[in-house]
Amino acid sequence: MTVAPELAGIGPLAAAYLERQTWYHAVVGNEGGEDVALLSAEVLRSGSPGLARLVLGRGGSRFQLLVGSRPPAEAAEVLGSREAALLGQLTVAGVTVLAYDALADDELCAELLAHVTGGSQRASMVRRVSTLVSHASLVFDERLFMKCYRVLEPGARPEVEVMLRLDEAGFNAMLAPVAHWREDGYDLALVREFQPSALEGRLLAFTSLRDLLAHACAPDDTQPVERTPSEAAQARADPDAQTAAAGGDLASEMRRLGSTTARLHLALADVFGDVPATRETFAAAIGDESGSVARELAGLRDDAAGRVVRLHGDYHLRRVMRSEPGWLVAGFGDDPLNGTDAVGSSLTGRRGSPLEDIADMCVSLKLVAREALAQRAPEEAETATHLADAWIRRNETAFLDGYVATDGASRLLPDDPTVVGLLLAGFGRERMLRYEATPSEA
Amino acid sequence: MTVDERPASPEASATDARPPAWRPLEDDPRWYERAVFYELLPRGFYDSNRDGVGDLRGIVEKLDYLAWLGIDCIWLLPFYPSPLRDGGYDVADYWSVAPDCGTVEDAAVLVEQAHRRGIRVIADLVINHTSDQHPWFAESRSSRDNPKADWYVWGDDDQRWSDIRVIFCDAEPSNWTFDPVRQQFYWHRFFHHQPDLNYDNPDVREAILSVVRFWLDLGLDGFRLDAAAYLYQRDGTSGENLPETHDFLRQMRAEIDRDYPNRVLLAEVNQWPADVVDYFGDGDECHMCFHFPLMPRMFMAVRREQRFPITEILAQTPSLPAGCQWGIFLRNHDELTLEMVTDEERDYMYAEYARDPRMRRNLGIRRRLAPLVENDRGVAELLHALLLSLPGSPVLYYGDELLMGDNIYLGDRDGVRTPMQWTPDRNGGFSRADFAQLVLPPLMDPVYGYQAVNVEAGLRDSSSFLHWLQRMLAVRRQHPIFATGGIEVLPADNPSVLAYVRTSSDGDERAVLCVSNLSRFAQAAEISLARWRDTVPVELIGRAQFPRIDEDAYHVTLGPHGFYWLELEVRR
Repeated sequence: MTVAPELAGIGPLAAAYLERQTWYHAVVGNEGGEDVALLSAEVLRSGSPGLARLVLGRGGSRFQLLVGSRPPAEAAEVLGSREAALLGQLTVAGVTVLAYDALADDELCAELLAHVTGGSQRASMVRRVSTLVSHASLVFDERLFMKCYRVLEPGARPEVEVMLRLDEAGFNAMLAPVAHWREDGYDLALVREFQPSALEGRLLAFTSLRDLLAHACAPDDTQPVERTPSEAAQARADPDAQTAAAGGDLASEMRRLGSTTARLHLALADVFGDVPATRETFAAAIGDESGSVARELAGLRDDAAGRVVRLHGDYHLRRVMRSEPGWLVAGFGDDPLNGTDAVGSSLTGRRGSPLEDIADMCVSLKLVAREALAQRAPEEAETATHLADAWIRRNETAFLDGYVATDGASRLLPDDPTVVGLLLAGFGRERMLRYEATPSEA
Repeated sequence: MTVDERPASPEASATDARPPAWRPLEDDPRWYERAVFYELLPRGFYDSNRDGVGDLRGIVEKLDYLAWLGIDCIWLLPFYPSPLRDGGYDVADYWSVAPDCGTVEDAAVLVEQAHRRGIRVIADLVINHTSDQHPWFAESRSSRDNPKADWYVWGDDDQRWSDIRVIFCDAEPSNWTFDPVRQQFYWHRFFHHQPDLNYDNPDVREAILSVVRFWLDLGLDGFRLDAAAYLYQRDGTSGENLPETHDFLRQMRAEIDRDYPNRVLLAEVNQWPADVVDYFGDGDECHMCFHFPLMPRMFMAVRREQRFPITEILAQTPSLPAGCQWGIFLRNHDELTLEMVTDEERDYMYAEYARDPRMRRNLGIRRRLAPLVENDRGVAELLHALLLSLPGSPVLYYGDELLMGDNIYLGDRDGVRTPMQWTPDRNGGFSRADFAQLVLPPLMDPVYGYQAVNVEAGLRDSSSFLHWLQRMLAVRRQHPIFATGGIEVLPADNPSVLAYVRTSSDGDERAVLCVSNLSRFAQAAEISLARWRDTVPVELIGRAQFPRIDEDAYHVTLGPHGFYWLELEVRR
């Protein structure tokens, strides 16, 4: 245990502070038991304001706490209404100061950023995005995003590892890591780029279909000027033509997303390796208890079945974001936008055919369609369902087209488009069944 | 007789109903950063001498209208003598005015009268090539050893520089054309009747500089440099953006800076912004360049009802050296240029905006603004609100302030060059000549025809698009932040909503928030305005106060194709 002498009195204050935190109890439970122990205390910045990093432990769990200190009046001013961040009074070198959670202090957050990035990044504005069980999230100047871990895990965190390695492999369709802080075998913080204007893919998809339905389901006399009667009649009869002509058409975006997805799989294959897919790969993944998939794939040669790669594993429209440079993939155990801890993400390291991720995205389109259809009046159901089906078809096709048109991507998938269609349908059914069973998880 | 003494024509009096207070011309070397430009076709604007062709004196008669509208600078399309095989961009004499447009003296009068109203005048200058009717070319082609033999780019075969793209790919099979007189091929990046000048010849460079001096001496406020990217050719290159081209432009700029204060060079370089920015040099080349890719992106964003086409291109637009400015526009005399979008997006634009193949031309779409947006006033207002609030000096195209239409059945690019519609009278008030004499037929269809769409009607109707635009230009003028401020795109949680803030470049905290709804449906959005917490937004047009910004996310609701310009007044 190494505790800087000037921080000798901090242990009980920090322990009491932890006891007041819900994230702490989410890890250790609400039961009483052994005491929290101060394992180390390191001064990152002396003077006023001071900044220190504490590691506390209870049982096998380790917690990181960043502590700031200032003279009482100054601390009160800085914290304002954030009184809950207060640890308590401390005497350092004969001077009385207030100790508090440093992440409540903008100046110390900026100091921390400079520390983590070795001085290469400075910021003037800090925004606190969310406080989750595992980490606190800070946005600096709307351009950098720092995840500061509260609950420490020994060894490299999978999310950090995946992102660093994809970044090294040149995969740029994600919020790229800028710096990470690792000491004594623990990942302490990760700083990444931030794209404030990035929008969740689901929102784009939903807007597209919502506006298409609003336009098409409007009474006839509010239709925009039709070019010729025959063209108008044709458009009404042909939902595919209607979806293609709609404002807010999503197809070009889905095509781009297909390409981004292919680049993700190629990078994952590059970093984590890939092996040939087999009939058994597919049958097992689809849950082919009746053996029907195996029968349909009987003629599939193993050398024409594509590859098995490490999957994203939780790939849907909430895990992708559209930003100015293009689509970004999130969900590597991180999501700066909605601040959730990803569940079932690629961190599981699950492997399979890239068709699984593709099928997940296609199912996601169907779920968006369900959501949009639910907002239409019952009497519009028939027209709207028809159009929504055409919208799904159009965007699935665009997504797949974008995928296979990407250099090198075709080797990842089975050669035969019929087989691809068959497998996508199979995976899609399996996913939908799973969704029907537990909609909240999906 | 001076112009002031000339009797006003009935058309002029009809449209000069509200004489403006004349503004003095400011002594400001950076006027162009705040200016609104108005591009007009001299032959299509107003015919003062009843010969059926618009002329420079005709423009003089309409200056009060332009002053009322609130523009700062007229950009004249070519008025030089020309066989007119490319709208005058085939110049046959650099030192005079085409007889049907007037005289050099008329040009001087136009400049003087415009200046009295606080309006500057720039003109097209075609420096890359001349007409094949130009005496220089006649001499050059006459033999291989005449004094001007090397004024154009000649070759014994048509194989050199074969990788250089053909720009007018619909009309020209090659950049080389064989000349039967000289028995050699000559180089042309545009039409075969427009041979490229040979800038490797110092005499050519000096001749073009003397043309520049001639018109600046006459009082012109600058030039729009046509096709500025193609002056030189070098083996193994695309023949575009070569260092030698930049050297020449810098030389031209240096001469202007030395002898002609307050003038502007506006370059037409249809390239990606990262390449175009080179034409600003270190602030020692062109003062302005057109931002070409922004324009189709604005249309695409409205059609797709999504902000990314615009925000993407803004993100790829580099910042400019001090004293430099973009020229931005919705439509101009050329086609809606699609060179700067991807193939996929081009297909999309074709599919959306040009269902009729006649509307397509080269890699663009030849339509005026109103027909492009199916005459939707809301969309036209939204597009202008974007134009007037995005970084750059807006360039309006004559007639678009009336939402004039086009005639796609006219050949070449004439469809968007029909006469300005002044009144509901004969020939739309453009000319008192016989209809058959007119340079181009005015529009007479029931929607866009001059009977319905004209300046007089627009002036009488206070809710017209013309009045709306005049008011918007006035509001823009009151807020120089639109012209010279920085831009920051703000996160909004609705893809149909585009929000950006124009920030003061003077280091103070003033800012204008611009929010636009690109959708035809009403939309709500939350915008991240944390930096302006405790600020009370004030709407610029009606000065209504909006709710104080007190949360990280600011809620805005917008009607279909609606927009707000909100001044962020800091009241801490």
